[in-house]
Amino acid sequence: MAEKFELNEVEVWDGNYATSQALRQAQVDVVAAYPITPSTPIVENYGSYVANGFVDGEFVMVESEHAAMSGCIGAAAAGGRVATATSSQGFALMVETLYQASGMRLPIVLTVVNRALASPLNVRGDHSDMYLGRDSGWIQLDAFNSQEAYDLPLCAFKIGEDMSVRLPVMVHQDGFTTSHKAQNVYPLDNDVAYNFVGDYVPVDEMLDFTRPVTHGAQTEEDWHYEHKAKQHKALMDSRPVIDRVLAEFKELTGREYKRVETYMMEDAQIALVILGSSVETAILAAKQLREEEGLKVGIIAPRCIRPFPYDLIRDAIDNSSNLKAICCMDKSAPGGAMGMLFNEVSSAAYTTNTRPLISNYIYGLGGRDFAIDEAKRIMKEQKAHADAGHITTNIQQFSGLRGPKLGFYETRRS
Amino acid sequence: MAITSVKNLKEFSTNNDRFEGAHLLCPGCAHSMIVRELMNCTDDNLVISSNTGCLEVSTAVYPYTSWDTSWIHIGFENAATAVTGAEAMYKARKRKGTLKDPDAPVKFVAFGGDGSTYDIGFQWLSGAMERGHDFTYICLDNENYANTGGQRSSATPIGATTSTAQAGTHSYGKKEKKKDIVSIMAAHGSPYVAQLAPNKWKSMAKGFQKALETEGPCFINTVSACTTEWKFDPKDTIHVTDLATDSLMFPIYEIIEGHELNILYRPKNIISVEDYLGAQGRYKHLFKPQNRHVIEQIQKDIDDNWARLQRREEARI
Amino acid sequence: MSLQGNDNRGIRELGAEKKVGWDEVTQGVALNSFVGESENSAFLKAEERNYNDFNSYTATVASWRIIKPVYNRDICIDCQNCWIWCPDTSIISRDKQMLGIDYDHCKGCGVCVEVCPTNPKSLLMFSEAKDNNEALAGWPVKEKKVKN
Repeated sequence: MAEKFELNEVEVWDGNYATSQALRQAQVDVVAAYPITPSTPIVENYGSYVANGFVDGEFVMVESEHAAMSGCIGAAAAGGRVATATSSQGFALMVETLYQASGMRLPIVLTVVNRALASPLNVRGDHSDMYLGRDSGWIQLDAFNSQEAYDLPLCAFKIGEDMSVRLPVMVHQDGFTTSHKAQNVYPLDNDVAYNFVGDYVPVDEMLDFTRPVTHGAQTEEDWHYEHKAKQHKALMDSRPVIDRVLAEFKELTGREYKRVETYMMEDAQIALVILGSSVETAILAAKQLREEEGLKVGIIAPRCIRPFPYDLIRDAIDNSSNLKAICCMDKSAPGGAMGMLFNEVSSAAYTTNTRPLISNYIYGLGGRDFAIDEAKRIMKEQKAHADAGHITTNIQQFSGLRGPKLGFYETRRS
Repeated sequence: MAITSVKNLKEFSTNNDRFEGAHLLCPGCAHSMIVRELMNCTDDNLVISSNTGCLEVSTAVYPYTSWDTSWIHIGFENAATAVTGAEAMYKARKRKGTLKDPDAPVKFVAFGGDGSTYDIGFQWLSGAMERGHDFTYICLDNENYANTGGQRSSATPIGATTSTAQAGTHSYGKKEKKKDIVSIMAAHGSPYVAQLAPNKWKSMAKGFQKALETEGPCFINTVSACTTEWKFDPKDTIHVTDLATDSLMFPIYEIIEGHELNILYRPKNIISVEDYLGAQGRYKHLFKPQNRHVIEQIQKDIDDNWARLQRREEARI
Repeated sequence: MSLQGNDNRGIRELGAEKKVGWDEVTQGVALNSFVGESENSAFLKAEERNYNDFNSYTATVASWRIIKPVYNRDICIDCQNCWIWCPDTSIISRDKQMLGIDYDHCKGCGVCVEVCPTNPKSLLMFSEAKDNNEALAGWPVKEKKVKN
């Protein structure tokens, strides 16, 4: 029986420590992991809980991230709670197994501390790894600060392990700006946290020898399509389960999370769509502009990246009667296309009545700072689009980049 | 552990097979002979993993499974990690008391072909061996990527023709020698490592049982004659395997705790490797005059290896 | 043979199974070997098991065969060589006795004939079309050893 870890009502934790505490409290059966900056401390902290008797489960330090997720899959198929952590190149190395985990419907929790992808090698935070995971069939939740890096993993177990979901869940936080920034965190009592998550209920477990089961069968053209469709339906249908678990969490803690967070959107003329630790920067910038210039700016922050909340984005747009222009902020090199948020938000906006102007900024690659002044400049540029009735710049631009202005694609105006 | 009697074949045949027919392996494939025998070596429950390869694509094609025990496949490279993940889960759940039947005896076994063992899954295997999990890894070594049409692997012997190391006017086939996987695994400090062959069913069964009984990570390389890519008649699988063990192309031996080497089969009459090579289409080109030197090289390598194994057996170091 | 009692061996050609829709395929591609709960199959003979439709035991590969082994009980010494080396779990052996060939799973590789030590052999390959009784009626006699 594990030793009791004493906690204060309020702790000063960085995002990594907050996440590692959530894994401890969820009483994970197997953590199979491999360290990588900036998520290493999650694994190190967990290792210290193991070394000091605070964990009853197994802690398996493997030889690569691919093996970490492989071990998680084997462990999860053996019928218990499983979690791991990674970042960046490690995430990229895991990709093969990410698809296998979701296809096998194993509710593993992967905590991802977002970091840029090489080349060039870079250890700082951007969203390249998070975006790389977006077709992998996982539920993806995004924590914007340390408190959320503690709260969301607890919710993630409960969502993924729900009998109608049974899918793996990623919980993202930004490298360094969240993972290494100490903030006040209000933890739950150990028992309260565990009871919220609940006991793990196995499905098709390999250790029930009365029901031998084959996992990972091959399917060709006569079966593969049906399996992938069924998997996609489970992912799409996880939305009400996510909503329910987040509501239960609010009831327990008073802390309210939604699949899409909106700030000051009711009367907003322009909106920024943004993720991660930049959300708080954007909120501050919007507040200042409202005060300084009376510019009505709102913020839309998807907390759930997959399944993408098209429904709630559409509602956020439709419920803002004055909304004229939206700028989608993508912190990932777009690789020959518009950024992910631009594409997804445009899809959602196309089904609205107002169909606001939508433009795209790439920003913050490799940990480049995103400051309040730059956020305000971008917001004011949206105002110019709104006033002109069309996008006056390239539709995709680069923010905070040295050298000549870089932008692509523009509205055709005859 | 409940091991089954291997006193004689009649006794052994009273075991109830847990590997079912109507799998898709080629007629005459040695893989299933080896897998069946492993599963008949114990009455314990089994959790088995397989790397992608002939065995995997032939025994779990939806909606059919040929496995009567728990089984998992993830990818080409990670069967060792998959089964050791399950082994870790077993330990955790046993400690926490969440197993349905905590007293049910269980063994963890991973299967891989030579491609996934010697090549693409080498790191995953090495990692699992180093971590000391209680499991047995069995390589079904047919010396090529047979599942994908017979490409060379690092287990392919020198002189064999494969689709990616072809014999032709300017080539005698694969130029490089086979990797010594048994020594590499013994060097991991594994408590039990062996090379076994299905024609010598009793030594194979005893080796399997030792590996299953030994706590810790054990490794066994088995010769699995491949009728399709070695190019011989399916009925001759055991005959060709006899030639492999009697020519000492595949010596049968075990290494305990990394140093105690025991030779498990000494042919009464050691045959020339020409008899072994001549029975297979993949070596046909070596009998051309310009390639005879390769046969001489192979024979010399076999002789050297046999001498080395005997010296190691004697020296116990 | 009592083994044929209530057994569902080899009742379907591979690929002839019902192709159900996305709403009916198993979650996560998992396949259960048996129906419901089952004792460790190491302690159950095939005919005592409750095979699931997902178990390949319920399928047949008989159509792969162009030649087949025929078994002659009169000569067999029950050495079990054919049992140990059959790659298709197709030698039916119970209580140390060889009972016959499982023609639903036999692919006709001929390994069993090659490893049969009796003289004449207790197993011989014949065309798939040949009647077994006819084959047994024309079974060869003992070969004399030729001294060199």
